[in-house]
Amino acid sequence: MSALIIFGLLIILMLTGMPISIALGLTVLTFLFTTPDVPIEAVALKLFTGIEKFEIMAIPFFILAGNFLTHGGVARRMINFASSMVGHWYGGLGLAGVIACALFAAVSGSSPATVVAIGSILLPAMLKAGFPKNFGAGVITTSGALGILIPPSIVMVMYAVATNSSVGALFMAGVVPGLMLAGFLAFTTWYRARKFDYPRQPKADMKMRWKAFRESIWGLLLIVVVMGGIYTGIFTPTEAAAMSAVYAFIVAVFVYKDMGLKDVPKVLLNSASMSAMLLYIITNAVMFSFILTSEQIPQTLADWMLAQGMNAIIFLLAVNILLLVAGNFMEPSSIVLIFAPILFPMAMKLGIDPIHFGIIMVVNMEVGMCHPPVGLNLYVASGITKMGITELTIAVWPWLLSMLAFLVLVTYVPAISLWFPKLLGVM
Amino acid sequence: KFSHVVAPDTPKGKAAEKFKQLAEEKTKGAVKVEVFPNSTLYKDKEEMEALQMGAVQMLAPSLAKFGPLGVKEFEAFDLPYIFRNYDDLHKVTQGEVGKGLLAKLEAKGVKGLAYWDNGFKIMSANKPLKTPDDFKGLKMRIQSSKVLEAEMRALGANPQVLPFSETYQALQTGVVDGTENPPSNLYTQKMHEVQKNATLTNHGYLGYAVIANKAFWDKLPEDVRNSLDEALKESTDYANQIAKEENDKALEAVKASGKTEIYQPTEDELKALQKALAPVHTEMADRIGKDLITSIYTATGFDPSK
Amino acid sequence: MKWLDRLEEIFITFLIAAATLVIFVAVVHRYASGWHLGAFQDFLLKIHLSWAQELCIILFVWMAKFGAAYGVRQGIHVGVDVLVNRLNPAKRRIITIFALGACILFTGVVAILGAMMVWENGLAYVLLSSLGLETGEHYEGPTTPDLEWPTWIVYLAVPLGSSLMCFRFIQVLVTYLRTGEMPHHDHGHVDGLDDELEPSVVGPKS
Ligand code: NA
Ligand code: NA
Repeated sequence: MSALIIFGLLIILMLTGMPISIALGLTVLTFLFTTPDVPIEAVALKLFTGIEKFEIMAIPFFILAGNFLTHGGVARRMINFASSMVGHWYGGLGLAGVIACALFAAVSGSSPATVVAIGSILLPAMLKAGFPKNFGAGVITTSGALGILIPPSIVMVMYAVATNSSVGALFMAGVVPGLMLAGFLAFTTWYRARKFDYPRQPKADMKMRWKAFRESIWGLLLIVVVMGGIYTGIFTPTEAAAMSAVYAFIVAVFVYKDMGLKDVPKVLLNSASMSAMLLYIITNAVMFSFILTSEQIPQTLADWMLAQGMNAIIFLLAVNILLLVAGNFMEPSSIVLIFAPILFPMAMKLGIDPIHFGIIMVVNMEVGMCHPPVGLNLYVASGITKMGITELTIAVWPWLLSMLAFLVLVTYVPAISLWFPKLLGVM
Repeated sequence: KFSHVVAPDTPKGKAAEKFKQLAEEKTKGAVKVEVFPNSTLYKDKEEMEALQMGAVQMLAPSLAKFGPLGVKEFEAFDLPYIFRNYDDLHKVTQGEVGKGLLAKLEAKGVKGLAYWDNGFKIMSANKPLKTPDDFKGLKMRIQSSKVLEAEMRALGANPQVLPFSETYQALQTGVVDGTENPPSNLYTQKMHEVQKNATLTNHGYLGYAVIANKAFWDKLPEDVRNSLDEALKESTDYANQIAKEENDKALEAVKASGKTEIYQPTEDELKALQKALAPVHTEMADRIGKDLITSIYTATGFDPSK
Repeated sequence: MKWLDRLEEIFITFLIAAATLVIFVAVVHRYASGWHLGAFQDFLLKIHLSWAQELCIILFVWMAKFGAAYGVRQGIHVGVDVLVNRLNPAKRRIITIFALGACILFTGVVAILGAMMVWENGLAYVLLSSLGLETGEHYEGPTTPDLEWPTWIVYLAVPLGSSLMCFRFIQVLVTYLRTGEMPHHDHGHVDGLDDELEPSVVGPKS
């Protein structure tokens, strides 16, 4: 009963368009005012202690690192590198787009920013080279979402925080699925380009490739700092995030010189504001999951589910459908923070690996960003391509289908997620 | 509401359940104890505030939590080699000195009720730790405490404060080189899988205090309070007994796993360690209170000059 | 109010920069003090940085509370707008006013609860005892474990940040009532694109 009231209230408040964080917080306040169990003063305490955890501090650091490298100059270097490598294959520039998106999204951490950065530079070039607009739009919109699966990933940190999982293990688990999904998207691009005989680029010589590689490598080394640092034990995940922020600052200001020292305060302010928004959602989501726990809702749901004789296969199917639907209304961080605490206990009871479950959630978030009616990537892509959402939706279909196929694969083949971290011995 | 931050199958978890059962029996159901294990309600960092504001009524926090509460005297328990063994320890925790310490909590709105043992800590790392020199430059994980920091520094190690939950991975990846733990924690947290050597230094004590919200406790009817006291006394004995058993069992299990080599230091090596750590007592005397440290020495018959 | 805007911006910029620096220095220190550098190692080992994590957390929580207020001004807080966007303007106006009112209510209530918590958690004791009054049921509050700062000072972030946030929502509501405009943040903004392209291709809504 209380579950119905809590979720009903939350949905009504959310539909008014108020910030999700505040909808969560108000739900908690209303509930606590009407129950004597938990003193209302606990709310203020939770609002502070909810994020008083060193693991969570990785989020502002990663955002800062990403913002230093979310720059047109970095995007251009990655496009040059990617097209010098694969530009001469079928769908040349399109394939380069997939790779450039994967690289840029990996370091910037923001899907919409990837779509804009790579899209604004690559789309005009593709049009000029003779690709149809909807082909380019499809490539960029979907590939831009790769960033939350290829580590470092803020959504993964959120999942780790919500479920007490290891950030390091999740990052390592994201590597293979991230590369595989990039492969799926690249294959779709290549296949369609061959089918419609789209143009290919002249083959770049080794000298050009080397130059493009040398220029892009500084940005890409960010991933090495993070993953290598965590794996070799030089840093904890949060420290790795802080070091990557310092590294990105040095690369942006002193190596690439994309920005001067005078631009740094602006990057700091924007990162602080973006982080604050996410941390504000986290605090309120922590309170929300606190009342859920206090009312024993996740446990009750889990028991009910087991009593229905649900097995892992059906459960995961239901989870995927639920998350894809949720992806129609909310952005990834909120979905993870609201749903992970509820679904996680059930998944554990069914013997699903916590890290594997995290990867399933993250892949769902990626798909959700690219499908209608709401998907942040679709919106920003519509901005840069000047295409309507409906038109864009049709353009995106082939890639979206391959993403869905990949989702099924990742859901039911745990080894895709778990093989690599197990190989490295981090789980 | 009795909230604690560890799993239900740990000694503290079991003791909390035991207390629930005894309390409800003895008060004939007049008191209902709800046990919330695993930080389901309040986390490590906020449980003390939650108790002070009455959001939970009972807790069993680690003794290290009372320093931040403003009762620095509790840091005496962290002093290396202040208790030679369980007998020494229980002379304090079950004697007048311990009672006096718990009474100091009342000024903070906290009623101290009993001490529950966790055990004596041993040192672990990826190399044999025999002499103080072996510690030089090692990054040793500790829980946040000025005394433990001084202890590691006295050995020439570099103390690193890390949350308990992050310790396994930090040891595994090498963010830190070693740590100190009672054997039961070493084993249940699987840290023995990522540590090659452990030395039975038994240098420090880890324990909990069962505490209650003072206003809540004082408002309880006399007879209920007495019954709860009785229930506590019995569950304390139970807690201490299983804590010791768990530690012995854990040590055997670590040995059996073959993953960590357990070293029993010689008398001389222990002496050397004690000597290296003795300055910590004087260094911390200003913080903790000279009188208290002396009264502990008196209670246990410990002679710091030897 | 320009000075408040400016102060808010400088404050959160400083917090994120300081937190980054603190962790950077602590990590460098950890490794430097692990090397056998003779006297220099002893010097490094004497520097105590075990409070770095705690300070980083405090800086970031303060950044989060004040940054959330700044974010209101920037329209950065994401919401679910599918339904609202489909309503006719009159209905949308009512719902939006309701939503903003709810935001003001929530942040206001949290500011009050936060103030009560800070009061109970040590401020009352400090204030009353410094005035020489009876402290009664108020106890001296705890300190943070590493830095040993009184927690009530650290927790001040909640009432102060939430008050500022409440004020920002009131500002947004007033502007909305007057002009019908709401701040809107562009999540896809990227710097350094304009100089690469002909103006016609640059088109993210800004
Ligand atoms: Na990423
Ligand atoms: Na969507």
